[in-house]
Amino acid sequence: MTARPTHIGALVARVEDDRLLSGAARFAADISLPGMLEAAFYRSPLPHARIEAVGIGDALDVPGVSGPFTAADMTDVSPFPDFDEFARPVRIFPLARERVRYVGAPIAVVVADDRYRAEDACELLEVDLDPLDPVVTTDAALAPDAPLLYPDWPDNVVIDFPVDNPDANAEFDGRMAVSGRYEVGRHTGVPMETRGVVAEFREGRLTVWSTTQFPHIARTMLSYCLPLDENDIRVIVPDVGGGFGVKAEFYPEEVTIPWLAMRLGRPVRWIEDRREHLLATCHARDLVLDIEAAVDGDGRFRAVRGMAIQDLGAAEMYPYGFSPAFTAIGHITGPYRIPHQSVGLVAVATNKTPCGAYRGFGIPEAAFAIERLMDKAADRLGIGRNEIRRRNLIGQDDIPYTTSAGAIIDSGSHREAFEETVRVTAERVEHWRADLAHDSRIKVGSGVVNYLEGVTPTYYMTTGHWTAFDSCSMRVNPDGTVVVSVGVSTSGQGLESMLVTLTAEALGVRREQVRVVMGDTDRTPYGLGSWGSRSTNVASGALRIASDLLLDKATRIAGHLLEASPEDIEVYDGALSVRGSPGASVTWQQVATAANIRTVDLPEGVEPGLEASATYEPPGIEHVPDEFGRVNAAATYTNASHAAVVSVDTGTGQVRVLEYIVAHDCGTVINPQIVRGQVVGGIAQGIGGALLEQLHYDEWGNPQSTSFLDYHLPGATEIPAMQVLHFESPAPEMPWGAKGAGEAGIIGPAPAIAAAAEDALSDIGIAEINRTPITAPYVLGLIPGS
Amino acid sequence: MKPVPDPTGRLAVSMVVNGRTVERTVDSRRLLADLLRDDLRLTGTHLGCEHGVCGACTVLVDGRPVRSCLMLAVQADGREVTTVEGITPEDGLSPMQQAFKDHHGLQCGFCTPGFLMTLAGTEPDEHADEESVRDLLAGNLCRCTGYEGIVDAVMAGWGRSR
Repeated sequence: MTARPTHIGALVARVEDDRLLSGAARFAADISLPGMLEAAFYRSPLPHARIEAVGIGDALDVPGVSGPFTAADMTDVSPFPDFDEFARPVRIFPLARERVRYVGAPIAVVVADDRYRAEDACELLEVDLDPLDPVVTTDAALAPDAPLLYPDWPDNVVIDFPVDNPDANAEFDGRMAVSGRYEVGRHTGVPMETRGVVAEFREGRLTVWSTTQFPHIARTMLSYCLPLDENDIRVIVPDVGGGFGVKAEFYPEEVTIPWLAMRLGRPVRWIEDRREHLLATCHARDLVLDIEAAVDGDGRFRAVRGMAIQDLGAAEMYPYGFSPAFTAIGHITGPYRIPHQSVGLVAVATNKTPCGAYRGFGIPEAAFAIERLMDKAADRLGIGRNEIRRRNLIGQDDIPYTTSAGAIIDSGSHREAFEETVRVTAERVEHWRADLAHDSRIKVGSGVVNYLEGVTPTYYMTTGHWTAFDSCSMRVNPDGTVVVSVGVSTSGQGLESMLVTLTAEALGVRREQVRVVMGDTDRTPYGLGSWGSRSTNVASGALRIASDLLLDKATRIAGHLLEASPEDIEVYDGALSVRGSPGASVTWQQVATAANIRTVDLPEGVEPGLEASATYEPPGIEHVPDEFGRVNAAATYTNASHAAVVSVDTGTGQVRVLEYIVAHDCGTVINPQIVRGQVVGGIAQGIGGALLEQLHYDEWGNPQSTSFLDYHLPGATEIPAMQVLHFESPAPEMPWGAKGAGEAGIIGPAPAIAAAAEDALSDIGIAEINRTPITAPYVLGLIPGS
Repeated sequence: MKPVPDPTGRLAVSMVVNGRTVERTVDSRRLLADLLRDDLRLTGTHLGCEHGVCGACTVLVDGRPVRSCLMLAVQADGREVTTVEGITPEDGLSPMQQAFKDHHGLQCGFCTPGFLMTLAGTEPDEHADEESVRDLLAGNLCRCTGYEGIVDAVMAGWGRSR
């Protein structure tokens, strides 16, 4: 084809924005149906208890109330299936049976004409709970005499995956060992929109509007739990106000609300409030990496070994909450040439909210551990912190490179991104030192870190079920407009715009001709939804195959209409033209009219209709780790280097991020504004997790962070200006070379900020920062004599 | 034994919402946000926390930004209320909405109406530089953008070069 302007990399406005800016978008809470009831849940106030009785109390004095409904009423409901053969079965039931294991666990539900009355009724229930001893930490859970959360288990271990790799152990003979225990604290995604479910059961058919990130998986799970075929269930995802992974779990309320709609014969709506969100939507992180490295005298790392210890909370979460720990093991060596590893994991149940998915999914934890360990080794050997990274980073000569975790790195700009970040950071830290030199209490420092991120991971290790594929189907209407429907589903990232761009690029249609359909199981082909930085990657793969099929047919029709060979037809700007003959051209409307309406005009042997469908499973993904934990679990790998410039107030211990520099490489960039937005937004969340956000529990298992007054999200004054440096190393195996940008930003901030804070205080000399959040009291406690 | 709440204390309210007079009889405890969203179907106003922290529910009451999750509908009696629907032109977008679009000041868009209403009730001259704009925006939480695009949009929407 001749060179022509491309849509890839062009700066174009998002198609989603107008409805979102004008208030015309429709979120779950905006759905209102005739006769709709509203539900409220009675949730456990105790971390660990036996349910003795759920009494109705005076609840029925509230007008229009039905309920309470409990697990005992749900006789036609099956528990969530336990698919993973390696983990203990948790048998999640939508409402608690016999026992509650965390504050916030749903015990009963009531419905009323409005939410006010439903909540009134909930307050009047008389629920008799017999308290049991709570288990609040992993140490307590692993103690020999620990109370058991699941009485039929011998201990509180959900999954145990020890690894003992002799090749890794051998590297420790005669070498310096550097060790640390690195803890990323419990925090989570906290989208501005909470979860919500609306359900309607009419004429034997269930329609569920849900804030889920995976509508097809939600429908499959619903059909497992309710006595309905998948054909009888339609899951619709309305506009979603952020997901970040926490909506890529299938929750008890997603069964309970549809069940109520079926039972009561009326539509039912439940919109989670923020307190419920902080108690009942999955928590995340809460992972300790206890590791040591064998290091040569020149700073080269030879092996890493140790354990990942995951506090899972009550474990009642599907997909399973231990999967981030597997992902952490898979990323423990970062983008460094470390030949061997031996890192296992143990995931333990405690009486806290179950952990699940959050953007980054184990990779931030891995980056925190290996980057902190690298700083420690550099300091011990007297090698600069940047220099030790230079000596270990994967270079272009090494690619393709297989990490000790089994990840196959086929492209990247690891050294280039790092050197550019180092260069820019050195300038900026001098600027800030000069700027703040007047205040002797304020110290300025910087830290540069690197990572790689597996994108489009297999879902098999997370779910025990699905792998990595997704789907696309395209149809050209008789007027030449194009409908593209996909199995991925948006939570606000801009996927609709991305798909419009790729369709315009692939078919040579104008952007305005394209309509995208997603998030509706009746109108889209089966797919796995949006998580794991996968959507651009897998949707573009399926779209490429479908559009090639469509183009093959369209060019045959156009060739026939133009009396030219199909091979000579090129597509651009809404037209199909004979190459080299600008006047010889038909529109998509003419081709689609021939295909659909004027079928008498079709060439011989061409079937009517103009549509195509395809699935795409990225090549090379492995689904099960070997005995040493090695697995190429992702389709491809992005890389980035992050740097924080921070100030530390030596009087208070407060760390402030003054400026943030990132060199980011996610392969081909389709929309630079959207990619930048993903990177910057991810960094902001990472800064929140590094400095502010903490889901704190007291020693008895009572949650202390149940509103935005005590769970602190970063605001406009906490997030600094950012410099984003773009690198593009297209993925050789991927259509268009696009890798995925959804999660990357969140991975770097914690280790970069920790390193920068230590650097700022290097004159004083402080103990290692080895946990997050890096709060002011924590830092103050590390300053000698403070 | 807890007393049964009495939600039946109903009061008539009259207010001007987006330029139209609205008369309703509401439960005395009904929030302004719920009146707007559920009774008037003005669903552009969003509830993010119901504690008055996140700012997603911000509307203008007599021209000043107010958290509609912390105000009772009856407190708006006799007042003038403006929501995001009320600042959106018949065709297209307002200059500030357009600036948000141009500068990628939104992703999921859930918090966006709250930001727009805070800005609609603010005198630009009182926030002369970026630091002051960030202070103003600190009352609204956004989880997607990292605020960069929002700050850029405000500067552009107020006709300032950066």
